[in-house]
Amino acid sequence: MEGGSRAMGAGAVRSTPMNAPATVGQPMLRWQSRAKSIDGIAAELGRIWSAISLTAEGPEGDERRVAARSSVMNLVVIAGRGEVGERVASIVDGLSGRHPSRTLIVTPADPDGPAWLDAQVQAHCVVPSDNAPETCSELVYLTCGGESGQHLSGIVAPLLIHDLPVTVWWPGEPHFGGRSARELLPMADRIVVDGSGWSGDGLPGLVDMAELPGRFDVEIADFAMLRQARWREAIASTFDRPALLPYLGHLDRIEVRYAASDGAPGMANVVRPMYHVAWLASRLDMTVVEPVKAGTEAWSGYDGLLRHGRRRVPVSLRPVESTAPRGTTLIVELHATRAGSQLWVEVTAFADGVVVQASLDGQPMPERHFTAPRKRESDLLAETIETPGRDPIGAAVLDMAARLVA
Amino acid sequence: MSTKAPVAPVPPRTIREERLARDGKKRRPSPHAGVNPLREGLRLERVPDPHVAVLFGATGDLSHRKVFPALAQLWRTNLLPTDWALVAIGRRPYDDGTFRMDIAESLHKNCRVQLDEDAERQFLDRVFYHRGDFDDDALYDTLTAKLEDMHLEHDTKSNLLFYLATQPSAFPVIVGQIGRCGLDHEVHAGGWRRVVIEKPFGRDLGSAIRLNREVLKVFRETQVYRIDHYLGKETVRNLLVFRFGNGIFEPLWNRRYVDHIQITVAESLGVEERGAFYEETGAARDVLQNHLLQLLSLVAMEPPATFAADALRDEKLKVLRAIAPPTRQEVARDVVRGQYDKGWVAGVQVKAYREEDEVDRESETETFVAARFEVDDWRWSGVPFYLRTGKRMAKRASEIAIQFRDVPHRLFADANTDPQPNLLAIRVQPDEGILLRFGSKVPGLGLDIRPVTMDFTYGTAFSTDAPDAYETLILDAMLGDQSLFTRADEVEAAWSIVTPVHDAWLDMPAPAFPNYAAGSWGPEDADELIQRDGRNWRRM
Repeated sequence: MEGGSRAMGAGAVRSTPMNAPATVGQPMLRWQSRAKSIDGIAAELGRIWSAISLTAEGPEGDERRVAARSSVMNLVVIAGRGEVGERVASIVDGLSGRHPSRTLIVTPADPDGPAWLDAQVQAHCVVPSDNAPETCSELVYLTCGGESGQHLSGIVAPLLIHDLPVTVWWPGEPHFGGRSARELLPMADRIVVDGSGWSGDGLPGLVDMAELPGRFDVEIADFAMLRQARWREAIASTFDRPALLPYLGHLDRIEVRYAASDGAPGMANVVRPMYHVAWLASRLDMTVVEPVKAGTEAWSGYDGLLRHGRRRVPVSLRPVESTAPRGTTLIVELHATRAGSQLWVEVTAFADGVVVQASLDGQPMPERHFTAPRKRESDLLAETIETPGRDPIGAAVLDMAARLVA
Repeated sequence: MSTKAPVAPVPPRTIREERLARDGKKRRPSPHAGVNPLREGLRLERVPDPHVAVLFGATGDLSHRKVFPALAQLWRTNLLPTDWALVAIGRRPYDDGTFRMDIAESLHKNCRVQLDEDAERQFLDRVFYHRGDFDDDALYDTLTAKLEDMHLEHDTKSNLLFYLATQPSAFPVIVGQIGRCGLDHEVHAGGWRRVVIEKPFGRDLGSAIRLNREVLKVFRETQVYRIDHYLGKETVRNLLVFRFGNGIFEPLWNRRYVDHIQITVAESLGVEERGAFYEETGAARDVLQNHLLQLLSLVAMEPPATFAADALRDEKLKVLRAIAPPTRQEVARDVVRGQYDKGWVAGVQVKAYREEDEVDRESETETFVAARFEVDDWRWSGVPFYLRTGKRMAKRASEIAIQFRDVPHRLFADANTDPQPNLLAIRVQPDEGILLRFGSKVPGLGLDIRPVTMDFTYGTAFSTDAPDAYETLILDAMLGDQSLFTRADEVEAAWSIVTPVHDAWLDMPAPAFPNYAAGSWGPEDADELIQRDGRNWRRM
């Protein structure tokens, strides 16, 4: 395949080093060129770092040396459409100071046409602090026409910096059983998705995704799960109180309410509400007795049954009419009964966070507020990159979610 | 430390748990074992319980430069609970409004990331000024009443964090008054009480023991957080990760491979407006007793069994106890003191120490100290540790340098240059990072060996948006994590090394101060101290 790519084009066609002074913390385009083959892209990437013109004028007219490439990973983005690629590029650009990477944004195009390759090769630099050299990372927009777009491994593999981890970010709706996944995931250390953006209720995608670790040696990061971090902190904090901790072994009901517009089954993505249930169930070592099933009536949501020791724990996902984006978690409600004593915990979303209310035998306990501004994709991507390595908790949550759906 | 502290392993309790453990399966922490299973794997920094912080010395320099900016950053990053308030105690005649204006000005000047308008207002709205003298009973009586009201108003569940950012002489008085009013008493249903105490903790071994005794009359050791802000620095925390999170360094970390270790904390600043304080303190008390010995103990300690606070501090304590208190002869031989003369620092002419404000014109206070210590244990026996600190030195630089032994055999006899021994330098500030030096052949037909470096700099590998040491430490105190705070026995062990130095100096003739020019690397005697062993201080 590599040979095929080489045959497709005639190498670099244009290059433009840019020497304007940089501002601290502001990423800046320092190099832009174009190539039509894998060899051409590799040559351009090499030329960036040997170019003498990569000294830039400092803020006071002095000459500032631009640092050599600084990469902590390879980031491969599968952008289904061109506009996704642009959005992703701006996010990656913003991270170049914090997580410099070689980023390959791959957009397959015109699948029935002839094979072709078009690449924009860019270097983005940022001055991390006063007097520090610039830290630069590379961005390659790859548009693969025809058959070449079906053989991504042959395009991506030669452009990876070896010995650095490979993260595949798959915005939109990935096809885990498709050829692209089969080609790319064997070379990936991690795949990043956003399950809350999948079509329908999103649950079949969870089942497919949960099978990935059995097929590939790959870690999974789902923005939908990461967005729940403060919710988990809030729920966990309730049981930090020694008096309430024993009730965790006696949960007898879990209900998650989520935003919906018309209440019809399958119309709102319920990946996030499902993750709440799956997290609690996996952390508490519950087993699935009856997977969740969608009700047939409008606004009926989903119901399932877990087992915790000898106790049966009904779980439900309930749609609530709301102006919030569909599928957004609004309330997580837990109920526990221990030796006749009843604990009720409700975690509710508000504008910038969540509030925890609890009552023990009808006696309300003091509320706790947790501030949690909504995270942008760039924050989530940064967070994913910052926490490398295995995430056994996340894997267990996904596994439990799949079992809850199956 | 707060995010990384793992849950302590819980021994199996039931037959099923034992069977799972025997089969090598991970046992879920059971709620019955007192461990919250929902906590495991949470990646977010924990948010402390709601509480009221009581800051003594709130109008002082330290509070304005460090404490309030750190609290504001914690607020900005949502790491303070929303049910949080601060009572600022000082002598100056402020009310809430004027004090908040004063703090706002400090925040604008000292915050590493400015708060937006809303966040700043929300933060300042939670700060309340309370005026009084630290030794006045009335201050504490009114404070007690105020705190009761605040617990109700702000729903802070009787949790109290006292922060003593005052002159050290006020510590026993404040702690005693807190005890008199019963504010130290933890409440059964929650309601923790903690006290954060700034350095210096005592001025010699005797006073440290007395101060510990006074503090521990009121608080239990688990409630006491003695701050050494160096321990909160990102690079210092990374030292533990570097040593115990990488497999390749620890096997080399011993007398077999290490020739010697140098630890430097150099400041280019003079005493600024702290002449009176410094006159009573000096470099040995200000830096050697705490920062330098803490860095030494982190470098030299054995791996702790767990990352729990006491496991870590036990190992540090063993190191300090393995350093024999120096005899008078050893002080004369192995400790050098200095005082800066006028000179040039960064192109600016600066005064001699004795010409600084509030400094005795015949002062014998040291502004520089260098010392050679040995850690007499199995790992380090015979490996010297050279420590130095000083004011008005050539530049601000703090570093730990591990100098490895030379190769046992000169293989490249024909080479024009001999390989230099390997060096590992951990830069604490500025340009935080790690440097490894090794020999490499110079390209060409000959066989020249030249040292080259692999240089990791935090600023380029990660963004420089690391938390300030005070943010880390204050958050840890709020969360009840004592890992980065010094324990009473650690403080006393450090004083037991430094106090004999002071005692010996008292018996010696008056030093010939000043003995080094501002902008230099200290007195010539310091160079001789290390050259005597056939070594040199690292050029920085």
